Amino acid sequence: MSEMSRDELLDVVHEVWEARDPVPAGLVERMQLVAATADTDFDLELMQLVERSLEPAGVRGVSTAYSLRFEYDGVHLLLRVDDDGEMARVDGWLTPPSPMTVRAIAMQGDRREWDVDVSDRGRFEFAGLTPGLLRLRLEPHGDSAKALGTPAFEI
Amino acid sequence: MEHSTTNRTPPGRPSRPRRSGEVWAHAASAFSRWADGDPAGLDDLVKLMTPVLWQVVRAHRLSVDLAEDVVQTTWLALVRSRDNVRDPVAVGAWLTTTARREAWRVSKLDGRDTPVEDEDLALMVPDAVSAESTAVDLDEQRSLWRAVDALPLRCRQLLRIVAFEHRPDYQQLAVELGMPVGSIGPTRGRCLAKLRAALAQAGEHDE
Repeated sequence: MSEMSRDELLDVVHEVWEARDPVPAGLVERMQLVAATADTDFDLELMQLVERSLEPAGVRGVSTAYSLRFEYDGVHLLLRVDDDGEMARVDGWLTPPSPMTVRAIAMQGDRREWDVDVSDRGRFEFAGLTPGLLRLRLEPHGDSAKALGTPAFEI
Repeated sequence: MEHSTTNRTPPGRPSRPRRSGEVWAHAASAFSRWADGDPAGLDDLVKLMTPVLWQVVRAHRLSVDLAEDVVQTTWLALVRSRDNVRDPVAVGAWLTTTARREAWRVSKLDGRDTPVEDEDLALMVPDAVSAESTAVDLDEQRSLWRAVDALPLRCRQLLRIVAFEHRPDYQQLAVELGMPVGSIGPTRGRCLAKLRAALAQAGEHDE
């Protein structure tokens, strides 16, 4: 048996992982969309995704709900994403609360947009959203502050 | 790359130059085109490097959802701080370093050390491969997978990162894998030796 070189061994490792854990279908296209959007959205500050957590399964044993926590310069946004039958819903909580309009933007398909206002307590909700890749744009009322945007997430 | 085609070739087809500098050179040129104002450069860069980022992030044993988040965070960071990459040649390393740092941060969050992939993937023996592959190919692939699986976890993680990255930064790797920086090189050597032995053994059984 001839000795395999370091590079040959690493080629084997490369090949094995590429075959058994390939990049998920559509991920490259989603990332191209995300990068191109961020590259042209100069008028907003991007919030950072800090945490994603799955909700524990409910009584029926299945839960598809999950939450996302975003942050930008002391502004925190918590989202709970759940399905609503065929459609999806997003409940949001902004701290500290401030008057804003939140726009949900579908990044694929019909690219629909939905607008809601944030309540005095920092709450907002979207129901009947089309499942797919979504992002939010938070537009402060008045023209003092810059708009905030979330990274894309799947609903 | 020419390989000897004697019948003493170990299991595993002759390696292809996939790990060679090619992908990094293409990434550098795509980055330059983007920096010069061509949006298609960014598209190409994402297409080239997303599969590499996927591998180095998944080496940290994150679930698919979390790994996708990390890959996205990495791309957004690049788009938002393009000027931090002074030399186009460094863009590949910038991306993989950023991705691994974020993967490590996410994997450290409470209750997050999800041992997803080992258990799940162990069951995923390659039984459906492309039509033209023969039974011999299939056996060969199975023995490759088994040889990699038989490695200790730390070896699997380290070799997976080294196999997809171009000269990873040992300092950061040491923090991520919880090892002293001085032991990364020797550990890598030992892991490669283990893999070499496992493959040689598999080869003997096959013959």
